[in-house]
Parts: sequence; structure tokens; C-alpha cells
Amino acid sequence: MSARPLSGIRVLDFGLLTAGANTSAMLADLGADVIKIESGAYLDPFRIVGKPDDNDGWWNRSPQFRFTNRNKRGLALNLKAPEGQRVIRELAAHCDVVVENFRRGVLDRAGLGYKDLSAANPRLVFAAISSQGDTGPERMNVSFGSTLDATSGIASLTGYEGEEPRISGMDVNYPDQIVSLFATGIVITAVMEARRTGKGAFLDFSQREVASFTLGEEILAASADPARPNDRRGNREEGVAQQDAYLCEDGRWIAVTLDRPDATLEAFCIGHDSTAAVAALLARAIAAAPCNDGNDLLGNMALQGVTLVRDERGGLVKGLPYRLGGKGISIERPGPDLGQHTSEVLRELLGYDDAQLKKLAEAGVTSTTPTVGEI
Amino acid sequence: MNDDTALPLARFTILEVNDTDVPLCLRLATSLAAKIAADLGASVLKIEPPGGDPVRRAPPFLPQGESALFQFLNTSKRSLVLDLGGDAGRAALKALLDKADAVLFEEPAASAPLLRAARATPIEIAAFPAEMNAANRPISEFTILALGGLLHMVGEPERKPLRLGGHQASYAAGLTAFTGLTAALAARDAGQPAPPVRVSLAEVMQWVNWKAVSGADAGGVSPGREGRNSEFQIVPCRDGHVAVVYTVTQWPATRALIGDPRLADTKFSTRAGRRQNIAELYEIITPWFANKTRSEIQTTAQAKGVPFGPTFSPAELLQTEQYVARGFLADMAHSTEGTLRLPQLPVQWNGRSFAPQPAPELAA
Repeated sequence: MSARPLSGIRVLDFGLLTAGANTSAMLADLGADVIKIESGAYLDPFRIVGKPDDNDGWWNRSPQFRFTNRNKRGLALNLKAPEGQRVIRELAAHCDVVVENFRRGVLDRAGLGYKDLSAANPRLVFAAISSQGDTGPERMNVSFGSTLDATSGIASLTGYEGEEPRISGMDVNYPDQIVSLFATGIVITAVMEARRTGKGAFLDFSQREVASFTLGEEILAASADPARPNDRRGNREEGVAQQDAYLCEDGRWIAVTLDRPDATLEAFCIGHDSTAAVAALLARAIAAAPCNDGNDLLGNMALQGVTLVRDERGGLVKGLPYRLGGKGISIERPGPDLGQHTSEVLRELLGYDDAQLKKLAEAGVTSTTPTVGEI
Repeated sequence: MNDDTALPLARFTILEVNDTDVPLCLRLATSLAAKIAADLGASVLKIEPPGGDPVRRAPPFLPQGESALFQFLNTSKRSLVLDLGGDAGRAALKALLDKADAVLFEEPAASAPLLRAARATPIEIAAFPAEMNAANRPISEFTILALGGLLHMVGEPERKPLRLGGHQASYAAGLTAFTGLTAALAARDAGQPAPPVRVSLAEVMQWVNWKAVSGADAGGVSPGREGRNSEFQIVPCRDGHVAVVYTVTQWPATRALIGDPRLADTKFSTRAGRRQNIAELYEIITPWFANKTRSEIQTTAQAKGVPFGPTFSPAELLQTEQYVARGFLADMAHSTEGTLRLPQLPVQWNGRSFAPQPAPELAA
């Protein structure tokens, strides 16, 4: 394969769930060699959330895990064992980027924080993605997806007219989805600087701040006018004549945005099939669209573009949110089984031999099965 | 200047071409991507049509009449008015393109063919995947949310679907375009041919909403808005609202926090059981919130590792202790609106923030 923007860059990936693991997945999509570190005692929670059955090997079959971690190699090394920590420090010397979204302090306590790793490898770019950032009185606070819909301000502007705020919920966890879109670009910027100057950087991302950043104009407007109303407006939007979801005859909702108010629209929609209503509105140069669900998206190959792709096992996985050179990506390897590439990577990067690998396995430092007990 | 003070993208020159007759939701994405690059030190020149970018006249407005939306999206840029409908304007643009590293623009722009052929790497923002040939289909940010499936996910199942607050479709695409831009710059920097970048709002929304597709693919049934059937809901408290959020492993801590013995019933001990009895569960837990403030709830819950989230309005965020302590909000002196406070880029780089400079005025 020809050179890609991040060819030659290696990423040590402690990323979990979406915010961290997807940032390193986006780096892999640009040609970086991403090695994901888990341990038998602590799996990426997506392996557990998406557990499909109780049969042996369940931890390797979670759709959510496989959606997010394609194109990575997977290692299982015990972060709590001194031997595991030593191996990871050796690996970090061969890496350009670290991505992590542990609770603050977890890597520091294992001697694997930015101070420890950058001392041995000053060109390291270290992306620390956390709920509240690495500083401030709330730095130790935990959050999960929709916690941040609430604390970022997005929920306060989401809801039925005059009713309570709304969150995006556990099937979206919106704030988790957008952080990697931003963090990846910042990591690439820091990699360019490290290539040029030989100096890495500590990049401190607060997921809550990323979500609030998307309300920049609202925060700015409130700073100039603290009395500015910020109630819930349903689907209405300031400066837009009329905008809402309308129910059609076939029981489906469509979304419509009008430049001029039209009091007859609701009756028009309920009197027409959704496909016919959308077509008629588009023909009148009015923005209209069906309210698609997951199955609609699965079936619409044209609309999908490059956002979905199949791995070599035929499994559907995440594609790209953009195109480079007009193309999406092909999946070079499916999401790794737990510890699938431990031996391969330790041989390749650190020159370990059979005896050393055997010793690590016998000591429980490496593994291919979880030790988390019943889930 | 030493490397510790130079801004990271200071070596790069970027054009943002604002042609006429482009849907506003595409422009917001373009401008956000270029703003991030500008705040990071890139030299960003915004080419505006005579009369200016229409976002200058888009709400929300500041007390003296400036657009808060424009001010937020165009920090740290310079502006030049060019009439791209005329030969002189196009010739001036061509000369600028020869000296730029990248150019951002929207698909339906009349100048798009010229910009795609430029020596500067094209970063193109569109509504739909290229193969759909739908560049001229009427769109709004709201209809893109519907197409991408995000609209289907928020609200009550038996009521209409709801959009998320803010410009989420445009801004998610803007963040994506920024990352695409850096990928192109990294390729140029490494001496490779830089790939042109294309971002469509429809693709970004589907990518963000991947759990709906993953769920439909795995189980045949699409996830959708659950409202009062969801384990995660918003409940009222003494001074506002709080989002009830906990993971499967955080349920025992959540149960202990609320402290009602009825929660010990085995019907609540599994996720499936809680979902089956969700109305009863919320009847039990809701009174716990009623007489407590958001601050009390957050402190008590965090002490037990439970991630409940108090809701804050944009005005309240300006006072948030965590944001003030981290210096996330910057003061920016505006020539007519006075001192404005706005979010900075949500990253600290070796402890450094990137203070935005005021958006450019329109040349007379």
C-alpha cells in the first residue's frame, strides 16, 4: 500500500468504549500502526456491554467492540503487575502516540503516565481524554455518555416546547461520539510538530468541554445578555420560519424546514404517504426528509456512503466519517480477539523470545481470556 | 520566535472560500473547521462575497446587533471581499490559491470546479455522498438530522422526534473537516501527495449515529427514542433537573445512593428487569431528587462513583467552577460589542490554551 498521512506512526492505545478507542481507530484509518492494550482483568467495556451470549469466547464477539476496534492489533498485558508495567514502558519507547481515557490518575499510579513515558521518549504525543479534563476541582468526576448531554448544556436546549430538558440517551451517548472527531485532528497536529521539532506534547481533552464547544454561539450570546431565554423549543430554530417533524398517513415522521410559514403543512402530511409527501415538498424546493431509523440506514447503500464497511469475517463495522482521495477504507484486520497479537508485537518490537513469552504467560502478565468472573 | 511560543499550525496558509448561494448548514461546517485551524495559528483568509458571508446576519444576535454565530465561527481569521462572479475576482482567487496549502469550500458553490483543481489541497463540504448526485436537493440541518437517523433517537416513542440543541449536524461535520484538513497537511508535510478531502453532513451524522445501525444489524430491530421507557431519564430537583445515568456495574452504588429498601427487590437487579419495571423504578427514585439541589446531588453521587449529570444552561456554564478553574472560557475584546466571553478550543496543549482573536469586520 502506498504511503498514507500517518504511515510510520505507531499508537499505544489504552482507549476504551468510544471516546478513546475511536480516536485511535481514526488514527489507524490514516495509516498508523495501532496497538491496543487491554488486560484479562480489565477488558474494554464494549466487550462486555455487547456480550452476545454466554458461550466460550463471548468477549471476542461484541458488535460494539468490533465496530470500533477494527484495523488495530490487540495485546493483553496486566497493568497492575510490575512486569506488565515494565513491558508497556518498553513498548512506549517504540511509539509516537499514546491515547487513553482512563479515570484521572490510573496510569500515573501504574507508573505509565505522561511524566513516566515521556521521560524515556520525549517525542511522545500523549492524548489524555477525560470527562472533565486533567485539572480543576471536578477532574476526578466520572461520567457516562449522557451525563455530558446534561452538564455540557446540550440537554438544556433539547426538549419538547416548554417541557423538561432531554438527553441523547444510551443508544446515542452523543458527547462520546464527537470527541474523537476533534481529538484526532489535534493529535495529528501534534504529530506534525513532533516530527518537525522532536518534541511531543501532553494533550488534555475534556469531553464536557468538547460538547459545550458545540454551543459556542449560545454561550457567547449568554455572556452578552444573561437574560437571554434558553428554554426548550421543540424542533423550532431561531431565524427559521417553520420547522418540525410531521406525521404522515403511513405512520412515519418526516422532517420539514420552511422559509415561509405554511399552516396547511400538518394536514398535508397526515393526508399523504411519507415518501410521497417528501417528494412533493422537495419538488416545491422545500427541505424535507424521512426520519430514518437504523434499518432504513442499513438498507440505503447510497446514503451510507463510506460510513459502513464489512471486515473479512463479513461483520459490519465502522467506516469513515470523511473521504480522502474520494475513497473510504478497506478493513485490513477485524477487531482483535483479547490478546490476539501479544506475542507477535512483543517479538517484533521488543525482540522477545519463546522463553520470555512463556514466562509472562505463566505469571499471568499476558492472557487471552478474561479473569473478570461472571458478567 | 522559539518553538515553545509558536502556534502549532503557524506554518500553514488556508483559504476559506464563501461563495454565494450555499446552504447555511454547509457554511457553518466550513467555518468551524477553518476557525479551529485559525485558533491553532494557521493563517486563514476568509474570502467573502460582496455583502459578506450571510452568517454575519444569522442569529443569535449580540446586543449591538452583531451575530454571535458569526463571531464564534470566525475567530482568528482575516477577511477579503472578492466577487467570484467576475473575472477580476476569480483571477485574484487563483493567485491566492497558488500560495495556499489548503482551501475549504462547499460542493454547490459555482467556484467549486476551480477550487477542486487548485494546487492547494481541496477540503470540500457537502450535504450528501458524491454518488447520490444530490448537490442541489433542498436541505436544512434539521432534515440532515432526520436522514442520518439521529432525529429518530431523541424524545418519547409515541410523540414526535426531537432535534438536539445547537448546530450538531453542522458542527460534527466541521470537526470532521478539521481532522481531514490536518490529515491532508500531514501528508503534505511528509512529502506525500495530499489527498483531497470530502465531508458530507449526511455521512457524518450516520457515522455519529452508528449504534442505531449496529443495533439494527445485530438484532433486526432498530434502536429508537425510548423517553420514559429508558433507564436514563431526566428528573426534576430543587433548582433544576438532573440526568439519571449509571452503567450496569454502577447500579449497586446507585441503589445504595438512593437508599430506598424497595430497590433491593430482585426485579431491579438486572438491566432487563429494571427496563421491564422502569415506571415503578422512577416512582421510587424521583422523590430522592425533589428536595436536593443539583450541586448536592452531584457531590453526593460522585462520592459514590455514580455519574448523575445536573443540567446547565449556557448562561450557567459561564459561572461553572470547573470551566473557570481551567480557563476554558476566554474573554475577547470586540470593537462594538465590548468584552465577549466564549469557549476556547477544548484542548490544553502542555497546559496551554488557544486564545481566539475577534472575527474580522467586513471590508467597506
